[in-house]
Amino acid sequence: MDARVDRLALPVGVIATLATLLVVFYYPVGSVLVGAVRAGGQLSLVPLRAVLGDPFYADLFGFTAYQALLSTVASVLVGLPGAYLLARFEFPGRRFLRSVTILPFVLPSIMVAVGFLAMFGRTGLFNDLLAVVGLGPVELTFTLEIIVLAHAFYNAPLVTRLVTAAWESVDARRVETARTLGASPLVAFRDVVAPQLLPALLTAAVLTFLFTFMSFPIVLALGGLEFATVEVWLFARVRDLALTEAATLGAIETALSLGLIYVYLRFEAMQLRAGGGSRSIGREPLLAGWRSLLDPRRLALLCYGGVVLVLFVGPLASLVVESVTTPEGQFTTDYYAFLLAQQASAATGTVQPVPAITNSLLFAAGALVLALPMGVVVSVVAARETRGSRVAEALLTAPLAVSGIVLGLGMLRTLVFGTELFGHRLTVTGPVAIVAAHAVAGYPFVTRTVTPALRAIDDRLVDAARSLGASRTTALLDVELPLIAAALVAGAAFAVAISIGEFDTTVLLAEGVDSATMPVALERYTGNRSLGPNLGPATAMGTVLLAVTTVSFVVIDRVGGRWER
Amino acid sequence: MTTPGVEIEGLTVGYDDVTALDDVSLSVTDGEFFTLVGPSGCGKTTTLRSIAGLESPDRGTVSIGGRGVTGEPPEDRETGIVFQNYALFPHMSVRENVAYGLQFRDSPARDDDERVTELLELVEVADLADRDPDQLSGGQQQRVALARALAPEPAVLLLDEPLSALDAQLRQRLRVQIKRIQSELGITTVYVTHDQAEALAISDRVAVMREGRVEQVATPETVYREPATRFVAEFVGDNNVFDGVVAPDGMRATVGDAAIALPADSDRDRGESVAVAVRPEAITVGRDGSDTAATERTVFLRATVETVEFLGDAYRVHCEWQGRTLVVKTDADEPPAGEVALRVDPADVRAL
Repeated sequence: MDARVDRLALPVGVIATLATLLVVFYYPVGSVLVGAVRAGGQLSLVPLRAVLGDPFYADLFGFTAYQALLSTVASVLVGLPGAYLLARFEFPGRRFLRSVTILPFVLPSIMVAVGFLAMFGRTGLFNDLLAVVGLGPVELTFTLEIIVLAHAFYNAPLVTRLVTAAWESVDARRVETARTLGASPLVAFRDVVAPQLLPALLTAAVLTFLFTFMSFPIVLALGGLEFATVEVWLFARVRDLALTEAATLGAIETALSLGLIYVYLRFEAMQLRAGGGSRSIGREPLLAGWRSLLDPRRLALLCYGGVVLVLFVGPLASLVVESVTTPEGQFTTDYYAFLLAQQASAATGTVQPVPAITNSLLFAAGALVLALPMGVVVSVVAARETRGSRVAEALLTAPLAVSGIVLGLGMLRTLVFGTELFGHRLTVTGPVAIVAAHAVAGYPFVTRTVTPALRAIDDRLVDAARSLGASRTTALLDVELPLIAAALVAGAAFAVAISIGEFDTTVLLAEGVDSATMPVALERYTGNRSLGPNLGPATAMGTVLLAVTTVSFVVIDRVGGRWER
Repeated sequence: MTTPGVEIEGLTVGYDDVTALDDVSLSVTDGEFFTLVGPSGCGKTTTLRSIAGLESPDRGTVSIGGRGVTGEPPEDRETGIVFQNYALFPHMSVRENVAYGLQFRDSPARDDDERVTELLELVEVADLADRDPDQLSGGQQQRVALARALAPEPAVLLLDEPLSALDAQLRQRLRVQIKRIQSELGITTVYVTHDQAEALAISDRVAVMREGRVEQVATPETVYREPATRFVAEFVGDNNVFDGVVAPDGMRATVGDAAIALPADSDRDRGESVAVAVRPEAITVGRDGSDTAATERTVFLRATVETVEFLGDAYRVHCEWQGRTLVVKTDADEPPAGEVALRVDPADVRAL
């Protein structure tokens, strides 16, 4: 009996996971792709030609790529010094800074957009700072610059994170060998360190380009239709119910991003993994007395610290400050009172704050229940064998190539509007589709957290438990599960954070006001100034979102990967 | 030799296209300390894992204590296994590690506590009972792993290179302790090592393995003094092994231009190729022919000293002899140098 459970558990889990992905991801996305090559129920290239031949769309794709390129350059410029700082210098708070670089993954982008409006808007903190030194004011709202800056906020930490990891994996003995063979420090860096950093840098750059190419809420909130990217236009077409045109746009976008994913995977495969027993290059103390501040490198890093404060701390701090400040600079709690007020009298079409918060939490709980088992199943397959891990890698990377809008569009076309199956018309309600979409977005994070923990478990631990009398299932419960518990909690926190912050798919599927979530409410408040004279309600909602995602981050940071060795 | 310990019959294991074990049969007596030794990839660990049930053989049977266990899962086999990397459960204390296997037996919990304490005392880590494994040194971790394996009173103790991760001194101390505990408990033990010196030092009997097959099973003395194959002669201990041809008189082997007397009991056809093995300690370094004890069949080889290693109680001398390297061990007070005459007695020669 027990042996049968042992043997069947994994295949059943794999089949259930694949079936879920098929229904809520591959089928909807596939329908979008097919929609792009069909017209009047027939296979046709008309829709594709209509889009590809239209100069408007050529410009749209051109601009999207241009802003993605600018954003990538900005992210690399901001991110690289960070990697240098984290990999080569020792200072109090270094570990904290290093782990903070995952924070952007869990910060809802619409919230960051509001933070940027609060920071870099006409009355924002940035202009106040400029005024202190007698400059400004600068008008950044609805400019390309603020979009690029916000993208750098998201992706520079990614560059820092990947390059720091590569730098730490450089074996110090290789550098020492080069030095004893006659290489100067600079030459040793060029010949030994740089070749190992390059693949990581390229990987980060391609990912940044991909993310910013498909960026949606940042561009929507900070650029509006004036600076529309493919994704924003796609959203607008879906809103106008021009679904065929939307599908065609989505298909082209997905094809392009699949190409980028391929490049990304190639670069990632080039990265060297640190072998056992390798020793990282030692770190210098950042500060060693006041004299050390005269060192040009340290001076430059100090200036870099200033940039980091303005770019990263500024928007989040402004968000919180604005949420408790009137335009006249008085302290107020009105915006939070607004969030809590049950606006029975509010006009129809207004997103109510309390239901939005409740919806967010309910959807997150639902998404967690789906994403956790899916993520664990994929982890088990990935950790078992090399072939399994390749399939798992493909499964995990596919959602990266599909934008939230395309997935949302696909779900609308198939699940929400209904599908004929065996003569029955099946429809899925908006909330169910939202939960499914959140689970699809969240499960790769569960897998990416759990797989290293599973891989780190020595097979012999299970062998030892079994020869001591434990069945396979007992060994799983007694040995493997406790060892991945921390990673499971971290993965769950990730899934919750992703769900709470998810905007792209949700905003399409929550067309009615009843299933709006916090990010959707936030976007409505930003766009609708009739609610208040300033960003107040939006910043208050943003601060609540920030609090929730910060808690997730703390959970991920504190418990995540305790057993990862 | 009649009480059954572990019986292996015709064990064959293949991975993909590679045959890891090829028709291996072994018989370990009850209470015996039995060692599988060989270079990496010889199949020794696969044999051990097959006994534990951690490997599913393609063919062959395993029985433990006279009970056939082929096809049974590991948890039903009553084996205790110790791995090279200790494999202690990192989320359990030392005490919890040792107690882990006891929950699967029917015995009162109070007895279990006593049993754990008793075992921790046996392996001399009782004072570390409440530590976590990562607070222990390698040697301490390995003692705990041994206690954990012994706790449920297994029918057979399986040790997979238990000392290989430890430094040389500790390795020697711990192997004496393992040997002492094994003979105190009288537990049937199968030990896997790639270290032939360790195998000779610790075992009642040794199986030398190579490429998935067993080359020789015998006591350590027999394996050392009377290796069955050329591989065993070269793998176990230092040895000088040369290719030669049986001379027309059938009593000698021609190696280069020397004729080395074969042992009297060797029965070889003339002209047959033969491998001649002489242990370094069986060769004496002397002056030319001056030795009075030399018989007619004693051979003197003229060689040139190339490198000398000082071992403390002896010198290991590497000599060049007719384009071959010859190793000699001598307890002389001064290291030999220059031209030497190496004396080989026929009684010390093995023909393979």
